[in-house]
Amino acid sequence: MSFRSDEPSGRVWDPLVRLTHWIIAAAIVLNGFIIDEDALAHIWIGYVALSLLALRLLWGFVGPENARFSAFPISFSGAARHVSGLLKGQHSSYPSHNPLGALMVYALWGTLLVVSVTGVMLDSELFPENEAEYSRQFEDDHEDDDDDDERNELIEDIHEGAANLLLLLAALHVGGVILESRLTGHNLVRAMITGRRS
Amino acid sequence: MEESDTKNRIKADRRRASILALVLSLQALASVFFIADVAQDLRWSGLNLHSGFEAVVAFALIVGTTFGSLQMRQILNRIHQAETAMSVASGAFFDLIEVRFAEWGLTPSEAEVALFTLKGLDTADIATARGAAQGTVRAQLAKVYAKAGVSSRGQLTSSFIEDLLMTPNNPAPEAK
Repeated sequence: MSFRSDEPSGRVWDPLVRLTHWIIAAAIVLNGFIIDEDALAHIWIGYVALSLLALRLLWGFVGPENARFSAFPISFSGAARHVSGLLKGQHSSYPSHNPLGALMVYALWGTLLVVSVTGVMLDSELFPENEAEYSRQFEDDHEDDDDDDERNELIEDIHEGAANLLLLLAALHVGGVILESRLTGHNLVRAMITGRRS
Repeated sequence: MEESDTKNRIKADRRRASILALVLSLQALASVFFIADVAQDLRWSGLNLHSGFEAVVAFALIVGTTFGSLQMRQILNRIHQAETAMSVASGAFFDLIEVRFAEWGLTPSEAEVALFTLKGLDTADIATARGAAQGTVRAQLAKVYAKAGVSSRGQLTSSFIEDLLMTPNNPAPEAK
């Protein structure tokens, strides 16, 4: 008959963490697979992702304990211990991200930052309003001098490379979540939707 | 009832937090828009009244987003505190019940009848819940009262309340 636990309702993720997570996930899927890269929507979706990433990073400083950077520090030794624990069948539970998950979180954020910032740099017109204006800008870009062209090509290469890396990391992230959920019996996906840990 | 008030407050706070999360997301998008816009205006036309004021707007948005975040954190803390208080209260009460029942040497059936009584069920309800005759329940209850050294339902309940009130900062034995 004891009813005590550290977290009375088993809540792990607050609404802001969940909202930013799923909108950014949707933005990555949309921009990576569905929306044409030259489309206007691609740019705006990118801005949404960048904004929510910025908000999540701010939340990492001022948010509640579980959402803070201090709750999931970068620790390679912690991640190694977590993996060896999982292999031995021991499942430690953590109030926030597990150490391996934390590394993935930082990798995803870092890569997304590179993708979105290079994306912004690629636009000569920020927040273009219509296709015509946008394509005209696009044409203008190509008439610019060689230096600018070279610079743009480099940024474009970085943008594409980082975007591919981001999709790869996202796939690994999904795989890791499924594996961890199977091994520990905690449904991590449901926790990110409802905020509660089973 | 006090508890349902607390629960309602928690529910309202949770709604507030969800709405605030949406508002903050919009503010973040607006902030990025204005920062980008200011940066572009400054690059193209330098500092003038228009770009200067836009910079002020961008700054105000960032400050607003930050303060909104801090407020959201406060709401989440308040929810957490209310939930912890409720769980400690019910935890402490159940701990106390466990300890007392053990001290009185109640049998498992007597303990169950006593618990139902504390929860406010009358003899008929308890009989239905346990699938027993009312006479049996009454006899068990009489034994509970005798073991507890009380003579009525009211006294049984108030003996627990008294204990809880006497030790407000010292909740009953730690249960892990």
